[in-house]
Amino acid sequence: MGAFIPTNAIRRAWISLLPVLLSVGAACSGGSRAAAGMRLADDAGDTMAIRAPARRIASLIPATTELLFAIGAGPFVVGRTTWCDYPPAASSVANLGDGISPNLEAILASHPDLVLLYNSARNAEAASRLKAAGVPALRLNTDALADVDRVARLLGAATGRTEAADSVAAAFDTALASASGKPGPGAPKVLLLVWEQPPMTIGHGSFLSELVERAGGRNLFDDVAASAGTVSIEAVASRDPDLILTSGDGPAAFVSRPEWQVVRAVRERRVIRVNGSEFNRPGPRSPLAIKELTARIREAAR
Amino acid sequence: MIVEARDVTVRYGRARAPALRNVSCRVEEGRLVAAVGPNGSGKTTLIRALSGLLPLEKGTVRAGGRNVAEWPRKELAQLLGVLPQREEILFPLRVEETVMLGRYAHLGPVAPSGEVDRDAVHAALERCDVAGFAGRSVDSLSGGEWQRVRLARALAQEPRGLLLDEPTASLDVRHEMELFELFRRLVDEGLAALVITHHLNLAARFADRILLFKDGEVVVEGTPGGVLTEETLAGVFEWPVAVTRWADGSPQVVPLREGESAP
Amino acid sequence: MKRLSLLLLAVVICLIAGLSAGTVPLSPGEVWAGLRSADAPASIIVRQLRAPRVLLAFMVGGSLGICGAALQAMIRNPLAEPYLLGLSGGAGLGAVLAIATRAAGAWAVPLAAFVGALAAVALVYRLSLVAGRRLDPRVLLLSGVVVGSFFIAIMSSIMVLSDSAATRNAFLWLLGGFGSSSWQSLAVFTAYSSIPLVVLVLNARALDLLSLGEEPAQYLGADVGRTMRVVYICTALLTAASVAACGIIGFVGLVVPHAVRTVSRPIHRSLLPLVFLAGGCFLVLCDIVSRVVVRPLELPVGVITALVGVPLFAVLLRRTLA
Repeated sequence: MGAFIPTNAIRRAWISLLPVLLSVGAACSGGSRAAAGMRLADDAGDTMAIRAPARRIASLIPATTELLFAIGAGPFVVGRTTWCDYPPAASSVANLGDGISPNLEAILASHPDLVLLYNSARNAEAASRLKAAGVPALRLNTDALADVDRVARLLGAATGRTEAADSVAAAFDTALASASGKPGPGAPKVLLLVWEQPPMTIGHGSFLSELVERAGGRNLFDDVAASAGTVSIEAVASRDPDLILTSGDGPAAFVSRPEWQVVRAVRERRVIRVNGSEFNRPGPRSPLAIKELTARIREAAR
Repeated sequence: MIVEARDVTVRYGRARAPALRNVSCRVEEGRLVAAVGPNGSGKTTLIRALSGLLPLEKGTVRAGGRNVAEWPRKELAQLLGVLPQREEILFPLRVEETVMLGRYAHLGPVAPSGEVDRDAVHAALERCDVAGFAGRSVDSLSGGEWQRVRLARALAQEPRGLLLDEPTASLDVRHEMELFELFRRLVDEGLAALVITHHLNLAARFADRILLFKDGEVVVEGTPGGVLTEETLAGVFEWPVAVTRWADGSPQVVPLREGESAP
Repeated sequence: MKRLSLLLLAVVICLIAGLSAGTVPLSPGEVWAGLRSADAPASIIVRQLRAPRVLLAFMVGGSLGICGAALQAMIRNPLAEPYLLGLSGGAGLGAVLAIATRAAGAWAVPLAAFVGALAAVALVYRLSLVAGRRLDPRVLLLSGVVVGSFFIAIMSSIMVLSDSAATRNAFLWLLGGFGSSSWQSLAVFTAYSSIPLVVLVLNARALDLLSLGEEPAQYLGADVGRTMRVVYICTALLTAASVAACGIIGFVGLVVPHAVRTVSRPIHRSLLPLVFLAGGCFLVLCDIVSRVVVRPLELPVGVITALVGVPLFAVLLRRTLA
């Protein structure tokens, strides 16, 4: 077999062709520009080196799990949290716990090459321990609608699915713009009620508050900067909300309690309940959530 | 007769030896009985048994003709005034307020106090010669004054008998003598009294009868002259003593020093 | 008498202040108009929300104060306070269980807290029956601490295992507050607390005797066993009802009796009613602070009573020791 081939020359040709072949091959897979060894900056200010496009991702944030599936990187997710309930395909991924206090053993047992953690003070230690174990861990903010675009693109870069990520981000931006209204002077005042005993509300700047504003309502307590705060029935009554918004597992009994009848919206039964995790976190479903909220607010405020 | 113990045996919990063994004594009107003996010989236990505070393993204690265990506490307090060795002063009261507490025996928790009670308190204060500082706080009193106030409180119960557990411990000569003279006067006026004391000589001069205790038993009982003899005392207290006579005829005990012998 | 009239005046002032202060500050004139006629603009707020709130705070404060005074006499310890009996652990566990299992009904949490408190108290009582005898104060204190810690440990485990919202809600409820007071909860608390309050005041003289020690008290004619049981049960019921009404509010039972004793005789007949009035004023004032200091948000009342109570207690301690 080797008789009629000049071995040295061909060997040299093969050797010089190899990198070309490899890069062409790499370029063909998923249309990516990701080269081996990229550096990604996370929201906690760390920059991390990732050796190759991530193929085994432990996503400990429900928002990133949604985004990963949205950009077609679903097959690369090897771990999720209990709260990652969308899309339905995510349920077949291994459940690594609730994500609030990460179980490092479970995470490492799934042999990830990238871990996504929520950017909280608690996760700082988990992130550094994962890094010490040789696994890059990115801490991300996923609280606001403005985070979606950025995080989607970051995940695209990490998984080598930049085109898909770009298109998801673009579609999101468009849909968001078209779904969003702005609270005008006649905007209905909405009380975001998280708990009733004691009464707790959500202030300005939190995700649900943002959704409500884009849906044409005004947060009754938008002068409160805290993400959650205890108020009194008196404070609610004196501000006279037009309607009350609670989430699926929020308070329900207050509607029939005598002391709450002081609030006009309770007397007139103007209480909206929203179910579904699309109201808990930003993601590709947010524009739909806003549309639904807009319709329900308009109806309840009539 | 106010209160009487017959062949009383008392054991604390699951102790090997009983605290009192076959003890009998009578507390009668007009008589001052002194209980003396080494530490831990059962004298305080006797007072507790006489007041119905302890369950009896054997024997009976009768007060006012009934078994003492049948007496409701409030009624028993109208019969017997008891001064324990110790009590706490948690929130200091004034002297008259303290003595008024003695009227609980007649008033109970609810009834408002009236003229009768105020008169009883006043009489008790006068009797114990503490009326002069009725408005003072009890934590400003000397040891002797405090004991007299406690005694006044017991007298405010208008009892027919007194049981006193070392009422003159840590008091100086004057206060001690004043108290014993007071006990004697009360007894002469008709009260019954049992006094636990370490002062053999005062017991000798003031008491009508003496109970000598050792290891939970009454070793000897009788008049001071009959009980306080050199042999008996040396045997009970395990220390050599000499006994002399005072002008009034009462025996006076003098403990001997090492190397001394009785004259 | 003079002290009583001064205190009654203070009560009136506190009640008026309580009705005037809040998210929407009202002048006493507006308060009066709101009370008198249903058409006045402030009427709904004053009648439906503030009036029951202020009255409930007054009742709870007074009840906790009396419980503290009674327990200090019974246990013969000036540091005794209603929550020493292990109550807060039991109530906390009951409330957390109700919240974590999302028990239905508006009364679920208060009822569970009430039952939990009584369960803890019963356990402490059982532990304190030394060799079948009656309550021994030293064992009582120790058992209270031990049982309380035990229940708090269980409660903490449940909170850790529950989701964060349930944990936060349970925590907030436990820290105490009058934000959801109503005429209904006031009526229930008053109905519940009247008998124990009256019984405690009736046993005032017995408490004087108990302060001397068990043996002296018995010699003076007190039925110590019965009195201690009665005081124990009444304080347990009152404190459990308070927790059910508004969560765990500490320091009132500890500080108010001492404060009143610095200006009044420690004889319980006069002390207990004065402590009731003073405790009521104290809690109403703390509730005002909790409502006003971070308007429109509210701080838990338990936090305010601790922040005020601790320095106050330090001052009282120096005064009594001086």
